[in-house]
Amino acid sequence: MMDTIVTYLVFIPMVFAALMGLFQVRQTLLRAGAMVSALLVLGLTLLLAWHFDPNVEGMQFVRHLPWIRHYGITYYLGVDALSLVLLLVIALLMPILHLYMWNYETKGYWYNMLLLQTGVTGAVLALDLVLFYLFWETMLLPIFIMIGRYGHDMNRAHAMKILIFTILGSLAMLFSILYLGYAHYAYQGAWSFAYRDMAALPLDPGTAGWLAAGFLLAFAIKIPLLGFHTWMAPAYSSAPTPALVILSAIMAKLGIYGLWRFGYGIFGKVLHLYEPLLLTLALVGMIYYAIHAITQNDLRRMFAFSSGSHLSLIALGVVLANLYAWSGSLYLIATHALASAGIFLMIGLIHQRTGSVRIDRLGGIASVAPRFAFFFMFFALSIAGVPGTGGFVAELLIIIGAFSHAPWIGAAAATTMLAAVLFVFWMLQRVLFGPPRPATEAFRDLSGPEMLMLTPLAVLLVLSGLMPSLFTPLFEPQIQAELIRFIHTAGGAL
Amino acid sequence: MTAYLSPFVPTTLVIIGAFVLLIMSTNKTIHLHSYLYVAVGFLLLAFAVELPQFGHENSLYVFPEIFGHSYLVDDFATLFDLMFLGGGALTLLINAIYLSRRDYYNGEFFALFLFAIFGMMTLAHANDLIAAFISLELTSIGIYALTGYHKNYRGSNEAMLKYLILGSFAGVFFILGSAILYGIAGTTVLSELTTFIQLHGTEHRLALSAAGMFLMVTILFKIGAVPFHSWLMDVYLGAPFPVTMFMASTLKVALFAVALRVYLILYADSSLIGNRAISVIAILTLLGGSWLALSQNILKRMLAGSSIVHGGYMLIALSSIGRGADLAAPAIMFYLLSYFISSVGAFGILSYIAADATRPLTYDDFKGMAYRRPYLSAMMAISMLSLSGFPSTIGFLGKFYIFTSAIESGQFLLAGLGIFVAFVSVYYYFKLIAMMYFYPEEETTGVRHPFEIHISTLLIGLMALVTIWGGIGTGLITWFPGADGIITIAQQAIDSLP
Repeated sequence: MMDTIVTYLVFIPMVFAALMGLFQVRQTLLRAGAMVSALLVLGLTLLLAWHFDPNVEGMQFVRHLPWIRHYGITYYLGVDALSLVLLLVIALLMPILHLYMWNYETKGYWYNMLLLQTGVTGAVLALDLVLFYLFWETMLLPIFIMIGRYGHDMNRAHAMKILIFTILGSLAMLFSILYLGYAHYAYQGAWSFAYRDMAALPLDPGTAGWLAAGFLLAFAIKIPLLGFHTWMAPAYSSAPTPALVILSAIMAKLGIYGLWRFGYGIFGKVLHLYEPLLLTLALVGMIYYAIHAITQNDLRRMFAFSSGSHLSLIALGVVLANLYAWSGSLYLIATHALASAGIFLMIGLIHQRTGSVRIDRLGGIASVAPRFAFFFMFFALSIAGVPGTGGFVAELLIIIGAFSHAPWIGAAAATTMLAAVLFVFWMLQRVLFGPPRPATEAFRDLSGPEMLMLTPLAVLLVLSGLMPSLFTPLFEPQIQAELIRFIHTAGGAL
Repeated sequence: MTAYLSPFVPTTLVIIGAFVLLIMSTNKTIHLHSYLYVAVGFLLLAFAVELPQFGHENSLYVFPEIFGHSYLVDDFATLFDLMFLGGGALTLLINAIYLSRRDYYNGEFFALFLFAIFGMMTLAHANDLIAAFISLELTSIGIYALTGYHKNYRGSNEAMLKYLILGSFAGVFFILGSAILYGIAGTTVLSELTTFIQLHGTEHRLALSAAGMFLMVTILFKIGAVPFHSWLMDVYLGAPFPVTMFMASTLKVALFAVALRVYLILYADSSLIGNRAISVIAILTLLGGSWLALSQNILKRMLAGSSIVHGGYMLIALSSIGRGADLAAPAIMFYLLSYFISSVGAFGILSYIAADATRPLTYDDFKGMAYRRPYLSAMMAISMLSLSGFPSTIGFLGKFYIFTSAIESGQFLLAGLGIFVAFVSVYYYFKLIAMMYFYPEEETTGVRHPFEIHISTLLIGLMALVTIWGGIGTGLITWFPGADGIITIAQQAIDSLP
């Protein structure tokens, strides 16, 4: 059971989708099936987390089978602390999203969501570069279809935009992958695309630098870092809510994951070449996105930019490469995913109730729908990183890491927290308070199922904020080991 | 004597089938379906006879006392034969509906079709430049006639005339190249030429290079490589659908069969000028084809442009062969198969939908297709994904092998350009997917068609499944070749070459 569990995690949603598609089941059965598959995966993920031993270095639950022997491409899945965190986030969010979609009549949504889960889970677990590339590309397809088919506001053009941008990055990465595979063949006489083998290749720094650029381009577009972000606001504003949550809470994090796993895992020796660039992009991006967020009138766009700002902060933490920053980044990956899932779901609810997410049409929600206002405020404040929520712990760790790297970086990072507080409070004032507007006069408060959907997210955010010691032992030993390994390969000192 | 017989049977079956069809067509009361079944029957019979012959280690010359060394039977040729036979049968069956809705198809159409396939088979077997030229002309003449088969349609006539005149002119270069080679080496047998080039190649470098380039001009023209492509768009558009599909898939395979044979022999072991020329032509083809495909609105023309681009990808690998990439030749074989499967799927769906259409289908005709024909749309989407090289389809692995071979030969820029062109192609393939899936029912007023069970649709479905299986099929299932097995088969076929 435990040695095949990773396969189940990846393929259960796809198998459910295939079976239900084959039999053309009704919508009621379809959603029940999707929920069963999501809960099954959640159960298995928790089981895996239970058996996961944080003190053992390296990959666990490894599944390594030959796939295309001729080229040494393998079916290679495994879990370490980094992927476990993302895995837990994905598995937890999926049932919640299914709950949100519960009354969606269109069957295509459900199939796309199931396939999307397979795609993102596979990308998190894959350790063979070709397999990773396969999942990395495949997860784009359901997003493309969902934005283009079920989205709004110029969604067709925006779907094409996100597709073209992302594939540009992916293909640059593909070139690097092919070169790495060939380099392994040239040096070792056998093909391999397993990521540990790649790290051991004796590439000269110039070549490795170019190859790293291919990977970095793909990840920079996915995160997105400043300058690679022009697809972000259009795609976020057009995406239907479930796709939007996946985009912000999971797919953007996968960009960080890629930077971490493959950027540092394979190109540890040459990544310092890009460090100034990445640092600048992350730092400027943080401020730039935050200012952009303040000026937005569309809630989706506002939190798209806020999301970009936080992802830049996570990227900053990864680039700083010290224990505080890395722990903080990993922590922020999880807590920001929870908080942004909460806020985007609630923005979706606002859209359902009023038909608009424009801030100037909203107002006074607190007086007609107090429960809604409470949750909305809570998630918005978690995004801003108010003490008591998980975001605060994570951001604090990153900022400490930044100060220990260089004070001015720490100061700049701390400023973003202020900017986030600024736009969140101003937004809350305009959306929740004041007299009700025509659109919000009959605003319905949260119903039972909606509460059920949001409560787990809120509880986890509070827990992670108040008792970080509950979660950190899960990943800290491995982060430390990984950091030491990286510093060794990079040739620096602690 | 009997040892020569069994490799000879499939080819003979096809030519007998062609004559049977000719005789049948003198009787005007026979229904079109009978011709179809006879033609497909002969093709499948030949396929069944030929299939077990693959995998015989040694190659042999058939009836050397009659043909000399010009007719060679090896795994390379056998694999290609199988592709032609399967491709021919698939083309006819998938177009069954299209053919039956038009009144200008009759027995001769199928006879010409089989003659063309016979020409391709002898082309794959040809170990002699003269035999290769005759086979090439045999194929071409059949296809010239097929191109103009829609007699009352001006586009079809124009296409035939254009193709006939330019094609014949291009064919002359093959003769010129062969003549030069004969003048130097005193032989036109390919295997003897190899020996000659290995021994005296350096003394006649210039003449050999010129001869090789003349031979390649003809082949590149037929492939539609830029700058020899000017005929291709109009001919593909004007030709009847089954013929376009046949030219884009099966004929392309045949041309790369001869290209591989000639190239492997002339350039593999020598320092002849020409590799660089092929690299340059590959670059031009990739860019020019992309430009043509991007600017089209009619889907048939888009696929025509895309077939130029796919030719360009294979030229990348062809140019890598001469630069020491061991993996390039099997990569071409694999790519041919992958392109063949995906383009048969795409053209098949187009022809199925166009069966009742009176004008060429454009992107706009596919708006909301996912609601009207959900299954066909899914298959079309799979074909498009495969053509664009999206992972988990066979097209991805095809590109994967091609680009790795370019990297192996040190042509990094060429590999990078190939990847860039693949990026560009995403736009025109995904545009069709977007058209099919992004437009809701209300905007299209179309009625919803259920899945019609018909040999055409079933085969298209099969192609879609093969596309997926070829992309993810694992080597763990040993008895059925997946992505792993196909490249092994391709490698085996290449290894059988001298």
